[in-house]
Amino acid sequence: MKIKIRNITKRFGSVLANNDIDIEISSKKIHALLGENGAGKSTLVKIISGHYNPDSGEIFINDKKLELGSTSSSLNNGIGILSQDPLDFQNLSIKESFIAGSKKFGENFNEKKIEVEINKAFKKYEIKLSLNQKIRSLSIGERQQIELIRLLFENSKIIILDEPTNGFSLNQRDLVFKMLKTLSSEGYIVILVSHKLDEVFELCQEATILKNGEKIKTIPIPYDRNKIIDLMFQGEQKKVISKNSNKNSNSKGYISINLQEWGFNESKIDQGSKVGVIGLQGSGADQFIRDIFEKKIDIQKFYNDNQSEIPKQDIYYTPSDRLERGLFGELTMNEHVALASKGNKLISWKSINNRSSHLIEEYEIKGNPNILANQLSGGNQQKLQLALIPKSPGLLLLEQPTRGLDVKSTGSVWEKIIERARSDISVIFSTTDIDEVWGQSDWIICFSGEKITNISKKSSLKKDDIKFLISGLESRK
Amino acid sequence: MSNLNLKNISIFIIQVFLASLGASLIIILLGASPYEVISSIFHGAFGRPEKIVKTMLIFLPISLAALALIITFSGGLWNIGIEGQIVLGAIGASWVAKSFLGESALSPYIQLFVGVSMGSAWGLLCGLLKVKFNVHEIFGGLGLYFVGSGAIIYLILGPWSKEGIASTSGTDIFPQESWFPTLTSLNIPALPILIICLIIISIILFLSFSKLGLKLKATGINPGSTNKFQFSSSGYIYLAFMIGGAIAGLAGVFQASVFYHKLVPSISGGYGFLAILVVLASGKRVIPTLLLTLFFSAMISGGSQLQLRLNLHSSLISIILSSIVFFWLVVNSTPIKKNITNLLERGRNASF
Repeated sequence: MKIKIRNITKRFGSVLANNDIDIEISSKKIHALLGENGAGKSTLVKIISGHYNPDSGEIFINDKKLELGSTSSSLNNGIGILSQDPLDFQNLSIKESFIAGSKKFGENFNEKKIEVEINKAFKKYEIKLSLNQKIRSLSIGERQQIELIRLLFENSKIIILDEPTNGFSLNQRDLVFKMLKTLSSEGYIVILVSHKLDEVFELCQEATILKNGEKIKTIPIPYDRNKIIDLMFQGEQKKVISKNSNKNSNSKGYISINLQEWGFNESKIDQGSKVGVIGLQGSGADQFIRDIFEKKIDIQKFYNDNQSEIPKQDIYYTPSDRLERGLFGELTMNEHVALASKGNKLISWKSINNRSSHLIEEYEIKGNPNILANQLSGGNQQKLQLALIPKSPGLLLLEQPTRGLDVKSTGSVWEKIIERARSDISVIFSTTDIDEVWGQSDWIICFSGEKITNISKKSSLKKDDIKFLISGLESRK
Repeated sequence: MSNLNLKNISIFIIQVFLASLGASLIIILLGASPYEVISSIFHGAFGRPEKIVKTMLIFLPISLAALALIITFSGGLWNIGIEGQIVLGAIGASWVAKSFLGESALSPYIQLFVGVSMGSAWGLLCGLLKVKFNVHEIFGGLGLYFVGSGAIIYLILGPWSKEGIASTSGTDIFPQESWFPTLTSLNIPALPILIICLIIISIILFLSFSKLGLKLKATGINPGSTNKFQFSSSGYIYLAFMIGGAIAGLAGVFQASVFYHKLVPSISGGYGFLAILVVLASGKRVIPTLLLTLFFSAMISGGSQLQLRLNLHSSLISIILSSIVFFWLVVNSTPIKKNITNLLERGRNASF
């Protein structure tokens, strides 16, 4: 089986989202579409799925020309999309969701027969779920697995995954990847849209790199990582994540986190240090950050042996679900800046506007002062969250600060954090990424499930230990 | 705020045209001529100075209710209980007017204080039910409204009944001292007009230029994020209900002491519910809300002329009114607005 994309061009106003893109993908190799945020991946996927009609170009499936700009034509030709957030019915059980969401069973269905069919598929792809479980009770990874099965029931032959692993645990990712590999070997075309090199290396055999709407190159995988990054960010100054260059060694201050409840002694963490809290998705790491913010965990500040509480207004927090708990989707950037300003006086919109423009420049936010928060991309929302933190030193609590961001945005977000961390009381951040915690922390706290399994200086830990500490395996051999 | 450009104005004019077209169709179906209906309504509402005053008396409570709702909507709250808050304001005013204070020259001002406080307390109660007991404001508000309208009937038939006879036509007329002072022989309600102007200015300042107003708006959009900005959403829910209830209570005071000069069972006149429509149709913005309120007040005030001049039943006015609202909501809906925008753009491209 083969899909040929020929000279696809799509323009939105002055933006050339796809420029003369030419790709050929066969069922033998799992193919990745790689590129930073805004490279044109999503546009291309929406053209393949029929949501967008390109300005020019053609798509062939097994040499048969596809009618473009029609979702039903794409569906009938076996194109199935697994999107970032599973599009399922939270209130239904697994079985009900299959009955409601799949044409396969028609109007006159036989429940027993359906159960048999689903169970057969579950068994084949090693999904261990009961059909009466509510969708709501499943993890995102499990929901994506079910969506995949549903796509198969729809007779999808070409499966496109649009950054599906945001919010997956390692274990869930393995399960879904295993299923995708089986599908590929059975003759399905599998296309993974991603900006995460690790998963592309793990799953794919070839990759097409897009940048600014253009195809840069199709390469076989494995391939030299540095060369891939060069291709993805061609012509731009690469932002290297700095490693602990900011250690403030002559400071006399430190903080102490009270972790007796978890059975750990007092740790004296130097002022200005970065504390990484790592755990798998769904572990207690994020909650730990929230608990500190809500002062459920006791942190004391010491300076020249004077002990004091950290005042509430000096604790700054950015949540990981930016639009749910961090920002107001329908307020503008100006309004956010006004909200974050001190005092309860009348607002001078002119000076707020100046301040926003300044922050946009300083934090390299792509947007204008009157843009709504929900119109910003994830990376820019995160930068806005950081930009809104007062300049005065404080305790920075960052819940998964780089969740869902591409390499470049991740780099610039860390640059901003590092810039201010030196003068802050401390930075405590959570992550699910071992590389990130290793690269950015002075101290590391490991969570396995709800339990803390380790707190120590990075220097007294080996990177390889972390995966055992977070997966709850006792042995580290 | 830069919404006032040529394109938006053209869209608005087309919308008004389409809505009028729809409403005219209904009027024709009712067997009348749209032109005659509109002109007789206009004459009934603005034809003579005393008619303008009458229209003004209708405009006052509806616009107050609408302003109250703009505040609560800003906080993301569906203050369906607004009618109850109007009723409580009216009860408060009547309480003062029926007491020994009723014959004091200070009575109107004491009525203002008591009525506004009672309306505000009724609003706050709804907020407390929401925050503390998790009762949705629609249920809480409706429940409190029923309590309020029950209380009014009890008061009119019981403790405050007319001398010698209990009648649902209302209480005795308040003593003259309890009426609001008016100007000239036309009885222009100067004080209420002054108060409403102050409220309008304060609300515009509050919502557009104060941090408090911005925090209220933020609470309405996403209470989940308020914690991060170190303020509590519940505080702002209380604030919205207190301000909204106070303004609605004021509407109740005006209904009792400026319009009727007594307490009647249907003292709120359904203006609270009408105001919900008005505010939603004007996109929760202050100036459009006031303009639409004026339009509605004129329709209600002039509608009584229909029977005299055109021999149409005066209740038809509510059918015409609701059809106008209906058509307005339709032409103001996203898909229709989008179509109008597209048409305009196509027209402009074609003309170049």
